[in-house]
Amino acid sequence: MESKLTRGGFAYPGTTLVYKTGSWRIQRPVHTHRNAPCHSACPAGEDPQAYLALLDEDKPREAWELLVSINPLPAITGRVCPHPCESVCNRGQYDEPLAIHSIERYLGDQALAKNWAYPVSPAAENAPHVAVVGAGPAGLASAYHLIRHGLQVTVFDELSEAGGTLFTIPDYRLPREIVRKEIERLLDTGISFKSRHKLGREIHLPELQQEYAAVFLAPGVMKSNEWSVDGVTPYDLHEGLHLLKQWSDVASLPAMKSAAVIGGGNTAIDIARILNRNGVDTHIVIHSSLPDPDKPAADDMRAIPREIEQALEEGVQIHDHHGVKRLILRGEKLTGIEILRMRKLPDEEGRLHRVAFEGTESILHVDQVIPAIGQVVDAAGMETLLDGKSYFSVDDWGQIEGKENIYAGGDAVEGNGGTVTEAIGNGRIAAEAIAAKLRQQQLPTINKSEPVHFNSLNMEYFEPSSRVEQVILSVEERTCETEIEGGISGLQAAHEANRCFACGNCLRCDNCWTLCPDSAVLKTNEVTFDGSFYVFDYDYCKGCGLCASECPTGYISMVNE
Amino acid sequence: MNEDTQTVTPETLMQLRKNQPRFEGLESGHRACLGCGEALAARLVTEAAGPDVMIANATGCLEIFTTPWPESAWRLPWMHSLFENTGAIAAGMEAALKAQGKPTKVLAFAGDGGTFDIGFQSLSGMLERGHNVLFVCFDNEAYMNTGIQSSSSTPHAAMTTTSPPGSARMGKQNLKKDILSIVAAHHIPYAATASVAYPSDLRKKIRRAMEIEGPTFIQIHSPCPLGWGHDGADSIKVARLAVQTGLFPVIELESREMIGSMPIRNPKPVTDYLVLQQRFRHLFQQGDVRAIEELAHIQALADHNIKHFKLRGEGMDAQDSDGADTVCRGGMRWA
Ligand SMILES: Cc1cc2nc3c(=O)[nH]c(=O)nc-3n(C[C@H](O)[C@H](O)[C@H](O)COP(=O)(O)OP(=O)(O)OC[C@H]3O[C@@H](n4cnc5c(N)ncnc54)[C@H](O)[C@@H]3O)c2cc1C
Ligand SMILES: Cc1ncc(C[n+]2csc(CCOP(=O)(O)OP(=O)(O)O)c2C)c(N)n1
Ligand code: SF4
Ligand code: SF4
Ligand code: SF4
Repeated sequence: MESKLTRGGFAYPGTTLVYKTGSWRIQRPVHTHRNAPCHSACPAGEDPQAYLALLDEDKPREAWELLVSINPLPAITGRVCPHPCESVCNRGQYDEPLAIHSIERYLGDQALAKNWAYPVSPAAENAPHVAVVGAGPAGLASAYHLIRHGLQVTVFDELSEAGGTLFTIPDYRLPREIVRKEIERLLDTGISFKSRHKLGREIHLPELQQEYAAVFLAPGVMKSNEWSVDGVTPYDLHEGLHLLKQWSDVASLPAMKSAAVIGGGNTAIDIARILNRNGVDTHIVIHSSLPDPDKPAADDMRAIPREIEQALEEGVQIHDHHGVKRLILRGEKLTGIEILRMRKLPDEEGRLHRVAFEGTESILHVDQVIPAIGQVVDAAGMETLLDGKSYFSVDDWGQIEGKENIYAGGDAVEGNGGTVTEAIGNGRIAAEAIAAKLRQQQLPTINKSEPVHFNSLNMEYFEPSSRVEQVILSVEERTCETEIEGGISGLQAAHEANRCFACGNCLRCDNCWTLCPDSAVLKTNEVTFDGSFYVFDYDYCKGCGLCASECPTGYISMVNE
Repeated sequence: MNEDTQTVTPETLMQLRKNQPRFEGLESGHRACLGCGEALAARLVTEAAGPDVMIANATGCLEIFTTPWPESAWRLPWMHSLFENTGAIAAGMEAALKAQGKPTKVLAFAGDGGTFDIGFQSLSGMLERGHNVLFVCFDNEAYMNTGIQSSSSTPHAAMTTTSPPGSARMGKQNLKKDILSIVAAHHIPYAATASVAYPSDLRKKIRRAMEIEGPTFIQIHSPCPLGWGHDGADSIKVARLAVQTGLFPVIELESREMIGSMPIRNPKPVTDYLVLQQRFRHLFQQGDVRAIEELAHIQALADHNIKHFKLRGEGMDAQDSDGADTVCRGGMRWA
């Protein structure tokens, strides 16, 4: 054919492939998996981006399996976690954040309804054996992850049932049958549970240390802080957490007409809401602020903002920035309390401290004052480890400082915010550390890289889409038993999963493949070594950076040659 | 993970290249500049039109960068015409194929110089005679291959080497020619504009034109990083802003009537578009009242386009979801 052409140029098709334009390049595109903000913010360590992706591909069971490879109690956390993931969700800067907690709950509930088995197998009989004390979320999560790592586990709890403080969270927020079902299934993964075994009574630390390869302590905080006003208390003082436990055990409360709850945590809010539902005129007195989205959260009440909001809706009266000055007693019987305004102000060294303002006193006519000002670890049986302190001091991996093979987690450790998800995260991390130690392996590195910023996403490729909202019972419909917030449907979950930007990960959207002017992005059928569905052909990539600019998720970055 | 761990061998890459799930009319190894809009546009066109086509290609960047003899980047029968006779060459190819009874469609490719100016006469004749040819104009708004000379497609106020800004004038004085109306005035069945920023829309239009028996015309707005003076990484961004400001209306005409447009929900100010490009940098000269006037003029041109072509869309989307390329997992949205 060539020989017939006597004049003009002739070339075979596609022969420019011999010329490697990649040599022009001074920078190259690379796929960089970066943590999504939701992932970095989750105290349990979940990667919502990853399971939302599976759900978006209509693989709910795989999504749940991935979710429970980190957090084994999603039906529970989907209901009670304050979801810091949603506060940082990049979609919040575009329209509304993903309803991650609703999806988490949906997946958890699906697993309960369909009895999906946890993706773990029981440990070998000769595997090392670890003891866990306390069957709250921290202890249970550690036990589950120890099993995942092929170790044997026995969990001890002084109570007759596993679940810890989860049973103190009222049914209208966290139904006990959900807690029971999820925990029962979790224990079935091969965890041996010994109820009515209290450390310091039936079992003792030295024996545990001798008989087990390692010990994880998750006793929670069982001892209430002492409360009085200048040493004075009413003779029939009931403490908030105690009342809540009494309510959850026998559904009865001492008779009262009006009450002032002192404190601003979840216990204060929950006991106030229960009293209020039982016809008690209920006040909360708290020296910190009501949460305000427009103000820094530094001095906010510790309870979950959504719960505070619902308590206010229901008619609980919250006196924020107030403290108790004096109890008004007739004999030993309370008839009221005198409260006054206070604020957190800097002292001479700039440290914040509370200042009470004279002349702002007022009287609350209440016949009960109920302190709910927090708890500390009950040291009995663990005195040597606490060394006089209120909480355990642990390192990044949960190991109690200076104690070989003794770890702690959950509410009982210093600096913890007191949430279920943090407890679960502590349990998982300690389990990893214990497993690595027992196998004489290196500890995995903790990924503390900066999450993908909103500015590195390309918003041109997304469209507004409204967030699914769970159905909430009206104030009139709310009782102490029925759950206030409903779940979402499969269709709603799919809609929501589709809203995820997939921050820092391959969305398989074909943008780079479609837009590269040099056909230097090749599409693959199977997922590639880096978790995407494309490879760069550096023989031809000129390094223009167009693919990186147009990647909607910030997954492609340009690096210098 | 990074390139250091990439385990793909050259053999598997070549295998992969051969098995891409799309028709590749234009192969890698071409010599276009980094981020060239014209190279992307040409690949998208052949992807939607091929493989049963033949191309007549006018002189210009596209011709030069795809055929550095003895190599060719084309995987299609392709022929270089003169600058001025692409329409005539394509018409002749079409007549020959017809005589042989072959269904192969003829495409004519040209830059804006080869379409609006030098090749215009033969294009007009081809359209008038009703040849079954799809003429694609790769509009990069100047004669780029010879070093950025002004064409009748160069927009008002743009700097080129033949329209330098200075004391006498602020870049090109005349307006960008409305080639689509002129072409449509030949009573052809289909004429449309498209942009590399909206590949699905572009490919849909190519397929629409391929179905039509008779002369059809598509003008594709194709940013040129070199001639426009923007970062190659921003080619799509620049093209998108041309559409979102109203400066480049994306429309379809059938028998001279407008039958479709890509609506703009929230028009962006023209300065968003202009500021990214060095060819407009004199419009951002502090203290020059002529610059302020020219910016206002260009904004007025955009506003006029939006009104004249009724581009203003409604609804919650920033951009029309049909034409705009909203991503979804799995790449399913690409038409
Ligand atoms: C009223 C209320 C509402 C709350 N609401 C929320 C909420 O909405 N969201 C949220 O995230 N968190 C909430 N919390 C906090 C949450 O319940 C705790 O952070 C979480 O349960 C801590 O888990 P843990 O495993 O550390 O301890 P716990 O759940 O307290 O479990 C500790 C376990 O250890 C056992 N134990 C203690 N000492 C011993 C011993 N010596 N020997 C053997 N066993 C022992 C206990 O019996 C218990 O079962 C709430 C808490 C309360 C009180
Ligand atoms: C009749 C004729 N005049 C001038 C030239 C020189 N020439 C070659 S390419 C070119 C510019 C092409 O510009 P355009 O058609 O806009 O395409 P672009 O290179 O911008 O893609 C010119 C002027 C020529 N080849 N033939
Ligand atoms: S958009 Fe998706 S990946 Fe990004 S922060 Fe929100 S939930 Fe996470
Ligand atoms: S768009 Fe293509 S040529 Fe440009 S950097 Fe990406 S892979 Fe390389
Ligand atoms: S000069 Fe412009 S049109 Fe020509 S190859 Fe370079 S970027 Fe493309």
